[in-house]
Amino acid sequence: MDPLIKSAKEGDHLAFAMLFKENYPFLVKYLMKITMNPDIAEELAQETMAKCIQKIHLYNGQSKFSTWLISIATNAYIDQCRKQKRENQWKGQEEVYRKLKWHFESRNEEWNDAIEALGKLPVDVRVPIVLKHYYGYSYDEIGAWMKISSGTVKSRVHNGILAVRRELKLGEETEGRHTRQRTTK
Amino acid sequence: MKKQKVVILDNEQQNKHDLDAIHKLQEGLSKVDQFPVYTPDLQWFENMVITEKENSRKKLRKELSLFLTIALFILSGIIVSFYQMPIVFLFIQIITTIFIVFYTVTGFRRKVKINE
Repeated sequence: MDPLIKSAKEGDHLAFAMLFKENYPFLVKYLMKITMNPDIAEELAQETMAKCIQKIHLYNGQSKFSTWLISIATNAYIDQCRKQKRENQWKGQEEVYRKLKWHFESRNEEWNDAIEALGKLPVDVRVPIVLKHYYGYSYDEIGAWMKISSGTVKSRVHNGILAVRRELKLGEETEGRHTRQRTTK
Repeated sequence: MKKQKVVILDNEQQNKHDLDAIHKLQEGLSKVDQFPVYTPDLQWFENMVITEKENSRKKLRKELSLFLTIALFILSGIIVSFYQMPIVFLFIQIITTIFIVFYTVTGFRRKVKINE
């Protein structure tokens, strides 16, 4: 185990601080991708660190510290969404990705339609897509963090990608042909 | 045979579209990684750790004292009812058992509903 983590587990404040400082940008950027809101991302990063301090005795060093942080952050965000039922408030969600869009524009970056499509997905679909296709975690790992089976994760990711494709109008011709074939039968 | 070939080609096409969508997502998300994130200094993190540890210690003390007070209250009630009013004691035992069973079943059902 990393000596820094060992010291943190023994109660060393400085070791904890160094670990957090090292992983902070990675954590905030992950949260920005799933929340689509830099302000909420920073707020959740602090909540994640607080939970990490309370649960450090549970960290066994089998996975990377950053991976462990991601699992805590994922749960913190899902819990927050459940509490506030933010996903049901369509207007609120739309405003959420607008904030990220504004950040893109202020940096003169071209806004990506795929992110907009991702932002329209419900949280329990958006999070596994980011974890699987951007960070490369396995279905089993994601399932364990989200407390669902790996099969459920797989189907959510699959349906989510289909929704993104529809939004981006990718493969509409093929789908159209399928429909035509079905109707002529 | 011909039909099978058409299906395989269509599947390949679908997979290609999936990969295109994934690629576009990755492209967009990688831009988020290029955003500058303000990282506070080491002192800030250290202060946060100290404050958080202090808060959780306070919370633990508060919860423990609340737990002990309630436990003491319930236990004294049960002991008094056991010696003074055995029927009330029996009634409390039955009600508690029913409540625990009801609470567990409801909680389990809610969990299944959420996972669906």
